Amino acid sequence: MYYVAKVNSDQCADYKCTTCTLYCPEANTLMFDTVNNTSWVDEDRCKGCALCVYVCTDMLDRNCITMVMSGQEG
Amino acid sequence: MSLKYITPAERFKRYLPKDYVELVDFGPFGKTQDEAGPGNMGQFKELVEEHPMCSGCWMAYYIRLIFASLPCPEETVTLGTAGCGRLAISQAAVPFIYGNYGDQNAMASGLTRAFRLRFPDKQKDVITIAGDGGTMDIGFSMTMHSWIRGEKFTTIMLDNEVYGNTGGQSSGMSPKGAVLKMAPMGKDFEKMPATKLAQAAGCVYTVRMSPTNIKKAAKIIRRAIFVAREVGPTFIQAYTSCNIEYSIPTEEVFQDAKDQEKDRFQFEEYMTDEAKEVIERVEAEEKAASKSRKAAKKAAAAEAV
Ligand SMILES: Cc1ncc(C[n+]2csc(CCOP(=O)(O)OP(=O)(O)O)c2C)c(N)n1
Ligand code: SF4
Ligand code: SF4
Ligand code: SF4
Ligand SMILES: [Mg+2]
Repeated sequence: MYYVAKVNSDQCADYKCTTCTLYCPEANTLMFDTVNNTSWVDEDRCKGCALCVYVCTDMLDRNCITMVMSGQEG
Repeated sequence: MSLKYITPAERFKRYLPKDYVELVDFGPFGKTQDEAGPGNMGQFKELVEEHPMCSGCWMAYYIRLIFASLPCPEETVTLGTAGCGRLAISQAAVPFIYGNYGDQNAMASGLTRAFRLRFPDKQKDVITIAGDGGTMDIGFSMTMHSWIRGEKFTTIMLDNEVYGNTGGQSSGMSPKGAVLKMAPMGKDFEKMPATKLAQAAGCVYTVRMSPTNIKKAAKIIRRAIFVAREVGPTFIQAYTSCNIEYSIPTEEVFQDAKDQEKDRFQFEEYMTDEAKEVIERVEAEEKAASKSRKAAKKAAAAEAV
């Protein structure tokens, strides 16, 4: 078991924002869905660093990303 | 490579690996920076594939940014050496050359010259991307001599101020006093003045920076490449922390990079008059092209209504 990032899509879609997707150290991992206007995480590629949490919570105060056990819903 | 080699015949597509097809369909090849550049990472298939660099590594982040900033990935070759960065650089869809430790700038010299002979009417971009140990310690003489000879390619130093890949030896770029696993008493001499050495050796464009501002970092990478095409050797020293050897919690890696911007990696950009001319010309051309693309798009949208 290991931690991965999970985006609360309903909450994220309220903001006109793509910031976290620009700062993930991994390419092709923290993606942006332009149709639903939300970022999302490819769990298999996420290394669980929580840099995206820093961006969304500490920098932007939007609190849309949490770290969860991989495979966990919610 | 060229765009022609990358693009598969339509009927073969379904036999090719999914990641390859995604790169062809949604990758940055043949596209502009507005369509697939640093500003919209996360919305196209990026060149860097999965790699084994550590969780939260800022060096991995900067490598991601380098590849998203390339003016012409299909006509680019990267060269590197032992060290953490090559673990990701070698996993990008851009040809990568890996030689003996520290010889990346020597190999790049030959390659740049060979390209100019073999493809006189084509612009091939050659970029060496190596660690501080590879660039300024073990590869020092080859780095310096490529600059002294005025070789026209770009050198990017991934400066994490330590030998990260081999478990924490101090490097010439570690700051004075740095206590590292294999420098337990603290390093006892100053960090090497890399950009000053580069300028003295003949680099026509040098930058020292901590890449926290995407737009700015991308602009610098592109400037270094454009100037190397026409004028001479260019050099970027970028802070790319090692969270393992400097014990930085991963969620604080970005904040640390911002702190370094005010400390050892204060922004410094140097260019010769000739380099400045190239930068001003190319950036004006890019701006005009982007403007006319936007106008054409707007006109097409208006027509569709
Ligand atoms: C000739 C030679 N000597 C030593 C090594 C072992 N070695 C591998 S990586 C490395 C240092 C890496 O430091 P740096 O260039 O700063 O890259 P980093 O891992 O910090 O990114 C060394 C000494 C080697 N591969 N080849
Ligand atoms: S930083 Fe937060 S609000 Fe912005 S795209 Fe990421 S998850 Fe959404
Ligand atoms: S936890 Fe790290 S690797 Fe995972 S999506 Fe966030 S920034 Fe990317
Ligand atoms: S050892 Fe340091 S520089 Fe190397 S991948 Fe890990 S965090 Fe990055
Ligand atoms: Mg290093």
